[in-house]
Amino acid sequence: MTHVSLQELTKVYPGATAPALDRLSLEIASGELTALLGPSGCGKTTTMKMIAGLLPVSSGEINFDGKSILREKPENRNVVMVFQNYLLFPYMSVADNIGFGLKMRKLPKDEIARRVAEILALVRLPDLGARKPKELSGGQQQRVALARALIVQPRVLLLDEPLSNLDAHLRFEMRDLIRNLQQEMGITTIFVTHDQEEAVVLADRIALILDGRLKQYDSAEAFYRRPIDEATARFFGSHNFVGGAVSDGAFDSPLGRIVLPNGIADGPGKLTFRPENLRIGPAAESENRLTATVLSKIYLGTQTRLRVQVGDEVIEVLANPNDATEIAEGETAPISLPAPALWVVR
Amino acid sequence: MSDRWKIILLLTPAMSVIVLLFLGGLALGLMRSFNYMPIIGLINPNFDAYLAVFTSSEFYLSFLLTFHIAFTSTAISCVLAIGAALLLRRTFVGRSLINFLFQLNLTVPHLVGAVGILYLFSQSGSFARLANEFGMIERPSDFPALVFDPFAIGIILQYVWKEVPFIGVIVLANMQSLGEDYESVARSLGANKWQSFIHVLLPLIIPGVLSASVIVFAFTFGAFEIPAILGANFPAALPVLAFRKFTDVDLAARPEAMAMAMVIALLSAVMIFFYIRYTRQKFRN
Amino acid sequence: MSQRPSTGFRTFRAITTVMMVTWLILPLVPLAIWSFSRSWFFPNVLPSAWSLQGWEYALSDRSGVIDALWLTIGISLGATVLSVLAGVPAGRALGMYNFRGKQFIELLILAPAIVPGIAVVLGIHVVFIWLGLANSIFGVILVHLIPTLPYMVLVMSGIFANYDPAFEAQARSLGASPLKTFWYVTVPAIMPGIIVGALFAFLISWSQYILTLLIGGGRVITLPLLLFNFATSGRNDLTGAISVIYIIPGILILILTARHLSGRSGAVGGFGQI
Repeated sequence: MTHVSLQELTKVYPGATAPALDRLSLEIASGELTALLGPSGCGKTTTMKMIAGLLPVSSGEINFDGKSILREKPENRNVVMVFQNYLLFPYMSVADNIGFGLKMRKLPKDEIARRVAEILALVRLPDLGARKPKELSGGQQQRVALARALIVQPRVLLLDEPLSNLDAHLRFEMRDLIRNLQQEMGITTIFVTHDQEEAVVLADRIALILDGRLKQYDSAEAFYRRPIDEATARFFGSHNFVGGAVSDGAFDSPLGRIVLPNGIADGPGKLTFRPENLRIGPAAESENRLTATVLSKIYLGTQTRLRVQVGDEVIEVLANPNDATEIAEGETAPISLPAPALWVVR
Repeated sequence: MSDRWKIILLLTPAMSVIVLLFLGGLALGLMRSFNYMPIIGLINPNFDAYLAVFTSSEFYLSFLLTFHIAFTSTAISCVLAIGAALLLRRTFVGRSLINFLFQLNLTVPHLVGAVGILYLFSQSGSFARLANEFGMIERPSDFPALVFDPFAIGIILQYVWKEVPFIGVIVLANMQSLGEDYESVARSLGANKWQSFIHVLLPLIIPGVLSASVIVFAFTFGAFEIPAILGANFPAALPVLAFRKFTDVDLAARPEAMAMAMVIALLSAVMIFFYIRYTRQKFRN
Repeated sequence: MSQRPSTGFRTFRAITTVMMVTWLILPLVPLAIWSFSRSWFFPNVLPSAWSLQGWEYALSDRSGVIDALWLTIGISLGATVLSVLAGVPAGRALGMYNFRGKQFIELLILAPAIVPGIAVVLGIHVVFIWLGLANSIFGVILVHLIPTLPYMVLVMSGIFANYDPAFEAQARSLGASPLKTFWYVTVPAIMPGIIVGALFAFLISWSQYILTLLIGGGRVITLPLLLFNFATSGRNDLTGAISVIYIIPGILILILTARHLSGRSGAVGGFGQI
């Protein structure tokens, strides 16, 4: 169990003008599963490599349980990184791959064999020890990579895009496996991903990094309900922003006066709401009810995506197909903005 | 036109060259080595040439010398090339200069290198003169024999000069396409620098090193002009000996030359076997 | 990878760098000095008298260097053109098709790159005398194909393996004749490969010694033959000058194409033959 603390962690690559990572501070509680989320090139892999000791730190501090590890060599940090493409050593058998870390620690051969067999069972690959990595499927390779990391009982486990190379049906299986093993062994785990869905399904907490800076560090739900700013909301798939100002629990905007949930401070800002939370057609309620002109309508199977116009504002709506059947392009339809689903970014 | 005919047509020009010149040359050499060549009236094949070759101590000395040259040059070049590649994969002052000199060196023919080594290391060469300047020797003959010497030091120096850049460039490219992530994995799993080199990087680059070594070994075993310039008169390297037999005024020595050529060919066939083993995928890649 | 290099390592690296640079240049230095020396006897570290005599003689008609230079260029160009003509189709067959016996064909085409010239040329000599090709320039060009062709095929099969024939089908469907398709679609796509392969073929042919000596029979005097003769007969000033002339094309080619020549291509093996 290790508490990880990053303090003003900064990385400037030689010759670069802007820092790849700019004063990142994070407290990751012991045993927690945290996602570093951001588009590619935002500095998240840089962060992982600095924690693992694979990249020198430009400035800032990394503490494990309150003690700096910056002077430790990578092999002494007991931080294991699992790369996105697994990087199983191709010339070694699966068992030799998994036992690698123990061999480096010069453990006796029979103990290595025993622990490899144990962990192979744990990742549900009991009979594959003698195979070569290239004879395994992608999902199996990932489990071997995970086993190779877990066998050394790392203080911190780092995962690089752990679900992104997997098919949809394997993703949930792997997600459960990672979550179960991580909880069982209580290993503080940090993973990076560019995919907000991957972050949401796997992480306890998400740190969103944009352009090398931490935007928001919160639970997954908070990112949907209370994004800190427009960029954050956009990263999580929200496209609806309406300018205006808050006063007395309501939002004055080109849409009219919209009733807000409690607790939103007065002042200018942008009203935002997720497309799936809007009600349209027969489902529209009386609160915050507006009349919209339907610009386009696309049937997506389980949902119907509509673009509607209210005044000069274009709004995206993801509706229940049953609510949208009667609605035609070019016609008007009622929509409503349920107050609990509204939020204002500044 | 079916694919089959297309393939045959596409391969015909190259295969004609290979079959007629390369295989033809080998086959005729083989026939001649058995004293069999109907077009010039030799119709009774025999083993005389092989008997003569395999009973002469000069052949064995030559063979051993040539093997020593090829093996030692290849081994030293491999070790130095891996070291050089390890150094060159990091950025530092002077890296691009060495890189450039490596590539430059690749384009310089062996023959020029051989003459350069001759002028540097002969007993009246630059190093002998420097040694005299510093009062270490008085006469050229005081300088140790590094060329025309029985241990083929000059020849090996020349090959090392040429082949370290050759293997180095291949190994470096190999390392660069592997990236550093495998070693990062090893380090994060608890391997120190030395362990991650021995257990991870080395096994990953060994196939590339071996396939380059095969080319180097075969070349250094069969090259003529370098031992001809830098080698001792006796024993001479096998290709030099074969050439001498071939150009002997006594035409009876020719089949012996052919027999030696066959020995060289046989050895390179073994090399090809290894080359194929280590580079099968490369051809397609 | 991880930590910044230590001071000790940096010192070691600096010393190694200096040693490597020195060692790489060293054998070429006496050649260059000799070419400008008039008298340079033991134990002088540098020539006691300098002159351009070696260069004047090398560039005069009497020495035969200029003739040998043109002849060598001609032979290497000839071998290069023939290698391209035979190597491109073979590369296409091996890169784009799978067929029975393909591995055997690959093996046959690669073999001459590894089997030393001396092992084959003695036998070829017998036939070439019989065919009247011995002692002729054309005979020398033909025999140079043995080491040049494998690398041409190797480069081209790599290029064709990554080449999508759908481009040709697209051109045909847009109304291009087979010939126009070849010229406007195929050739531009494979041109980088042809250039690299041709440069290797040229340099490999350029560096041939024993094949030229035996098949040329002393009548076809290329630069390396001349260089060898002067080197072994003690004309060091002339040897120096010829050496300098002899390495120039390679350097020019390197400067023009350095970015094309990555060690990743299997063709780099061709450097092993130079």
